[in-house]
Amino acid sequence: MERVLEDFVTAARTAGVRISISETLDAVRAVKVVGYRDRALLKDALAVSLAKTAGEKTILEDCFERFFAFRLFAAAPDRACKDAAMPSPSLVQTKSSLVRLLMEEDRAGLIGAMTEAARLENISQIKYFTQRSLFALRILARMGAGGLDGQIQALGRIDTPAAAAEKARLESAKAYLVDNVRNYVQSQYDLFARNEGERRLESELRLVKLSNLEQRYFARIHNIIQRMVKRLNDLHSRRRKAARRGVLDFKRTLRENISYQGMLFAPSWKRKKIERPQIVVICDISRSVLRTVRFLLLFLYGLNQEIAKIRTFVFCTNLVEVSDILGNSPVDEALARIQGGTDIPLIMGRTDYERSFGDFRRDHLAAVTRKTTVLVLGDARNNYNDPHPENLRAIYERCKRLIWLNPEVPAFWGSGDSEIGHYKPYYTMIKECNTLEHIERLISALVRR
Amino acid sequence: MKSRYEEQFISIETVLENLRDVAYIANRQMAMTVYLACRLEKPILVEGPAGVGKTELAKATAACLQLPLIRLQCYEGLDESKALYEWKYGKQLLYTQLLKDKMDDIISRGNGFKTAMDKLHQYDDIFFSWPFLEPRPLLKALQEKNGCVLLIDEIDKSDDEFEAFLLEILSDFQVSVPEIGTVQAVTKPLVFLTSNNTRELSEALKRRCLHLYIPFPEAALEREIIRRRVPDISEHLAHQVVNFIQDVRKLDLKKVPSISETIDWARVLMILHAETLDPALVRDTLNIFIKFEDDVGVVAEKVHQLTAMAVN
Repeated sequence: MERVLEDFVTAARTAGVRISISETLDAVRAVKVVGYRDRALLKDALAVSLAKTAGEKTILEDCFERFFAFRLFAAAPDRACKDAAMPSPSLVQTKSSLVRLLMEEDRAGLIGAMTEAARLENISQIKYFTQRSLFALRILARMGAGGLDGQIQALGRIDTPAAAAEKARLESAKAYLVDNVRNYVQSQYDLFARNEGERRLESELRLVKLSNLEQRYFARIHNIIQRMVKRLNDLHSRRRKAARRGVLDFKRTLRENISYQGMLFAPSWKRKKIERPQIVVICDISRSVLRTVRFLLLFLYGLNQEIAKIRTFVFCTNLVEVSDILGNSPVDEALARIQGGTDIPLIMGRTDYERSFGDFRRDHLAAVTRKTTVLVLGDARNNYNDPHPENLRAIYERCKRLIWLNPEVPAFWGSGDSEIGHYKPYYTMIKECNTLEHIERLISALVRR
Repeated sequence: MKSRYEEQFISIETVLENLRDVAYIANRQMAMTVYLACRLEKPILVEGPAGVGKTELAKATAACLQLPLIRLQCYEGLDESKALYEWKYGKQLLYTQLLKDKMDDIISRGNGFKTAMDKLHQYDDIFFSWPFLEPRPLLKALQEKNGCVLLIDEIDKSDDEFEAFLLEILSDFQVSVPEIGTVQAVTKPLVFLTSNNTRELSEALKRRCLHLYIPFPEAALEREIIRRRVPDISEHLAHQVVNFIQDVRKLDLKKVPSISETIDWARVLMILHAETLDPALVRDTLNIFIKFEDDVGVVAEKVHQLTAMAVN
């Protein structure tokens, strides 16, 4: 029976419940204690030992219902020739076990034969929907459908009414069998592989160019981002707390133990004051870069508990601060408002890096301190204007580091009106940034110490 | 050797009955989880909305096993010294003062700094031994001879570090005290952890536990609980109270009333000698089971309708 549990665990994993090996072992032990007799009890025992959130419990219960569903071979075969006289046994001399099962309508026997055949064919390995017919064929072959065909053909050669009736009976039984095996394979495919496609899509989405992304995948991307953000939060909040603990602070120990007549009873330990990264983001929001900006901001604003202070500036022809808008409304809404430009003095003309960096230098340079990381997101395509790199230089010299994110692939950097070469001395590093994967790597480098 | 829990809880039905005897009405799933936890020697992580009886379950289990209940209330900043053990600094200090002469004696007998040091080394461990150790709930639970029920309440309120620290106890039922060594459980305690889901618990912790989710009870079960907890209540009033609360739970509220609130309300109605629900009475006692001003407004609007539905 452990094989059944194993398959059930596989099915549950496919459905999206995270199950570790130790939990599987627990489930095996739990099932040994409660037994297989009581269906509700079995379900509860599995739910208690395998699913660890309320959401997972619902998935698991649904999966249980589908996995342990015995609706197969439920409807009796369509007997068109029921009133035909029972054929004399002499017509069919050698009945195979399959034929006997079919003729006697032994449901349990048929299910047993089918699941056994499916097990031998490793049905739990099914991955793609194109494999369905193949599995169905193999299962049928294992059950002995070949013999059934042979018998039907043999009956076709005998030219009596009784033989014809018998042949019709066998044919309808065969159709019934094929139908049920197909249904069974379909249900197994649903159990073991249905979410496989989703998972594939997800790993593709991480690597696809954000600028090529279709609108309909946005919701999925948001989900992925949320999960990534959560992972990063978990990872780094823990690491940060544990950092730098355990060095004896001797001066403080002496001071605090004066009350014990100078005996050193309660040692105190040094703790490093933890500085969260401060970030200033300067984004080009001309059309060519907008998509990337959107996802970068989604990421950054998801992380806000990690990052103490984040200020965002957007520019096209000129530069404006939009921290307030982004801080007060969801990123999507905020971006729509910024683009619409209803309540902010942003000119959406030709991209002008010279003027924008100049604006920043004039109005907002105080936002950059020695602790600040500046992210500049843009393709540096300045429409053949003078790049004036000294504005960027002023920012670079004040900040801790300046990271340039370029949504173009490296081959295009510096080609045409791209002025990235002129800005080169004034950034700490440059990164290609056009997929979710890039954004994730960048952010995890930002929050790491 | 069979543990006390296994001896008493021979089947799921006995668990159900035993819990019922101490006035805790459980459903089958809860009983089965307790039964499994005894058999598999695994901790139970109990989740569910506030006030459905997560903590009560541990208390009731302890009561029917007649074992001590050791409770550790978690909060932010809880650390090992409060949960596991602490050295009795005062006692150590006092003893060193009292034994000062003795120590002078020991040290002065030797000639030379090194011998004195060596001598001292032979004795210093006595100040870090069991008599100077103040066991806190976790260590106490491991030392109970006949086993006990250990309740780690609201684990989600504690820090991540504390959660990680619990892992050793939950999987091996042992803890390490650096000065003494590893302490093994005499009899493995039956552990309940409760969580209100204010934050996601770590995978590692969840993996080590059986997970029980207690939802709001169905009407029938809730009626039984009310009858058991408020024995004086009349059959039809209990019926009405439960119907009313069940309907209120369907409304869009900030905080829906849970079982403990239903019980409180039933008690209040008993004190007021109410025979049946009527809108005026409900409106006066609304604040017993609705805890937010906004929610009071929402329910008060519909009191007539809800009472009419509950009474019929």
